[in-house]
Amino acid sequence: MKRIVLAVFVLATTASAQQIYDLVIKGGQVIDPAQHREGRFDIAVIGKRIARIASGIPAAQARVAVNADGYYVTPGLIDINTHVDIRAGGNNVYPDYNALRSGVTTVVDAGSSGAKDFDAFKSGVVDRAKTRVLAFLSIEPDGEAAAATLAKYPNIIVGFKAPDTGEGLELLKHAVETAQAAHTILMVDSPAGQDLMEPLRPGDICTRLYRRWGKTSTPESARESITAARQRGVLFDVGAGVNGLWFASAAPAIQEGLLPDSISTGMEKDSMLLPGTNMAAIMSKFLNLGMTFDQIVERTTANAARAIRRPELGTLKEGSTADIALFEIRHGKFGFLDSGYTRLDANQRIECVLTIRSGAVVWDTNGLTATDWIQAGPYSNFK
Amino acid sequence: MLGSIPIKSLAIVFAAAGVLSAQQYDLLLRGGHVIDTANGVDAVMDVAVSGNRVMAVKAGIAPGAAHKVVDVPGLYVAPGLVDLHMHVFGYAGAISPDDTALAAGTTTIVDAGGSGWRTFDEFHRTVITHSKTRVLALLNIVGAGMVGEPAESNTADMDSQKTAQTVLRNLDIIVGIKTAHFGLPGWTAIDRAVEAGRLANVPVMVDDKIFTDTGRTTREELLDHLRPGDIHTHMYNDRQVELVDRFSGKVQPYMWEARKRGVLFDLGHGSGSFLWPVATKAMAQGFVPDTISTDLHQSSILEQESDMPNCMSKMMLLGMSLHDVVMRSTVMPAKEISRYPELGTLGNGHMADIAVLELQSGVFAFKDAWGAKRLGNKRLECVLTVRDGKIVYDRDGRSFPAWKNKQANEVTK
Repeated sequence: MKRIVLAVFVLATTASAQQIYDLVIKGGQVIDPAQHREGRFDIAVIGKRIARIASGIPAAQARVAVNADGYYVTPGLIDINTHVDIRAGGNNVYPDYNALRSGVTTVVDAGSSGAKDFDAFKSGVVDRAKTRVLAFLSIEPDGEAAAATLAKYPNIIVGFKAPDTGEGLELLKHAVETAQAAHTILMVDSPAGQDLMEPLRPGDICTRLYRRWGKTSTPESARESITAARQRGVLFDVGAGVNGLWFASAAPAIQEGLLPDSISTGMEKDSMLLPGTNMAAIMSKFLNLGMTFDQIVERTTANAARAIRRPELGTLKEGSTADIALFEIRHGKFGFLDSGYTRLDANQRIECVLTIRSGAVVWDTNGLTATDWIQAGPYSNFK
Repeated sequence: MLGSIPIKSLAIVFAAAGVLSAQQYDLLLRGGHVIDTANGVDAVMDVAVSGNRVMAVKAGIAPGAAHKVVDVPGLYVAPGLVDLHMHVFGYAGAISPDDTALAAGTTTIVDAGGSGWRTFDEFHRTVITHSKTRVLALLNIVGAGMVGEPAESNTADMDSQKTAQTVLRNLDIIVGIKTAHFGLPGWTAIDRAVEAGRLANVPVMVDDKIFTDTGRTTREELLDHLRPGDIHTHMYNDRQVELVDRFSGKVQPYMWEARKRGVLFDLGHGSGSFLWPVATKAMAQGFVPDTISTDLHQSSILEQESDMPNCMSKMMLLGMSLHDVVMRSTVMPAKEISRYPELGTLGNGHMADIAVLELQSGVFAFKDAWGAKRLGNKRLECVLTVRDGKIVYDRDGRSFPAWKNKQANEVTK
């Protein structure tokens, strides 16, 4: 009896000695725009880090091996416009379920909290969530307090969010000055005309790019002013939400090559169900409007990371945090809604099948990392 | 002359004259396979809604009779699902009801003991009034609610009188009592919950985590302490109930006996209470859940994805018919909490809560509490949800007009 136990022990240690990786994702089509890498590669993870990317990493070296054949493998996505401060109630949503099932491993809250309540936001959401939560801090009520809070939490706060400036040039100027004084970037809802974009600096982010153009300007003039601001280095983000994605604005712009710099959801309670603002749905909308999957991945990983100045995120570079997503593109008959509640008839849908956050499996809808129940025993004492 | 009469009054004139058959309904779901087990309906029919009420379920309703017509051929049309066991308040892993329920076809959820008599008002103010989902509640016998230890074993805070009084003051929302996670020996928590249930004349749901040192047995709980109509949840969690005898593989005789005396059995899937071997053996012997419920919270929605359609698909994988699955997710839970026929049926005049479900074919992975997967070839997915007569979820946008690219260059007004 003892001898048998010993033999089993030896076998087990031999096996584990070969298993140098916690996880290997094998044979997927890797897209990592930050590294200009695209092709079939295997990705090996040890602990919370990406240990190696190469061809032909043996499955036997992994504690868990995933067959990713037929899937796209991307860095965990970054959603730079969300509303996740559930303490604030109202329209906010908790990030985990809404983000992770779409392959989003980093969300950036867009101004739901300000200096007054940031500590509570941090303990209530940032510290609790499985999703990495960063924030654009609201500059309300005053810039000095915002700057002090930024100085206290430089690892969480990536910039400031201007209050809805509407048509007010002075308000916008003040917001830019506040951000300038704190040496940080500013996110604003896309102002209507060219003169209103004048105060924005290179690196500032206009979100809700494809909102309903034409109230105060024609789509043509809107596109002109956006192009002019972009030439100065102002960035344009989607921030779909309830009002931020109209096909009538997006379709002709995309046809003309006016693509967003980053794609974000504007995730909030009011838009989650209708018109539908989880990241996989938003990405599907852009895929069916004519953007390529590569372009979409670039705008939800490398570009988004660059916009919030976190180049260490949004990449599968060896040594970086193991935030990874697997996607499939389904073909069939689908429909997607815009902010005007009209339906885009579509033939492709992007779905996230696996999400890894800091090396841990947090979403696995096809059970790629799960053991079949027949082999899974023993179940407690159950026989 | 006619042109000066407002259209509305014209309609009233015609309606009064009985000649206006046009657009008598607000919404028509056309050509789906309706499963309304309470009324014995299991066939392709149309469902007409006006306001927040179901007005007609029959074949061949003229599309002209409704303002909005949504074609649902090839899909199943069921009453809005009723999830008897969810966590949306109090509990550390509580989740917002609207995050998961409506997209799953679940129009009514019952919070299973997140609040107690001390915290119910806060629950009502912060969650219930802000939810698009209909939120009902089982009130925890613990006054502080489901807030972990030591509160959940604090017998001094288990007041049957005050709990019953809170139930009686809030009968529009509170449908029963919950006792859970009681870690001490003895029957205090369970007996006080049952006493509160008796005082308020409502059922009790019991999640009795039998710790090895409590001295309680499931047999005594089910045969001596619970009343007919009380609900034993987490039925397929073997750690807790020893549903299936581990040596003989048979469902324990006292389980059948309990069922015979009217104790009800609830799935309560969660992330700890659905194990493939247990459920497989019990289902094979015909020991099925009276009600299918999720016990949904932050971790189970991500790990097991065990929303209502997922739990229903698992039951089908174990041999339950679609008809029975729908029955145990609609009319059965509605009856257990005395909300039938207002909820759980598509009967004329009742609440227009409707789930449109797609039965997909393919290869799907279904995970149990231990993360073990079982592959199946059918899966239910919700494609459209109507709550109170309003379309609140529409996966494919089928109820909305198509966007035409030619609109692209028009200046919108």
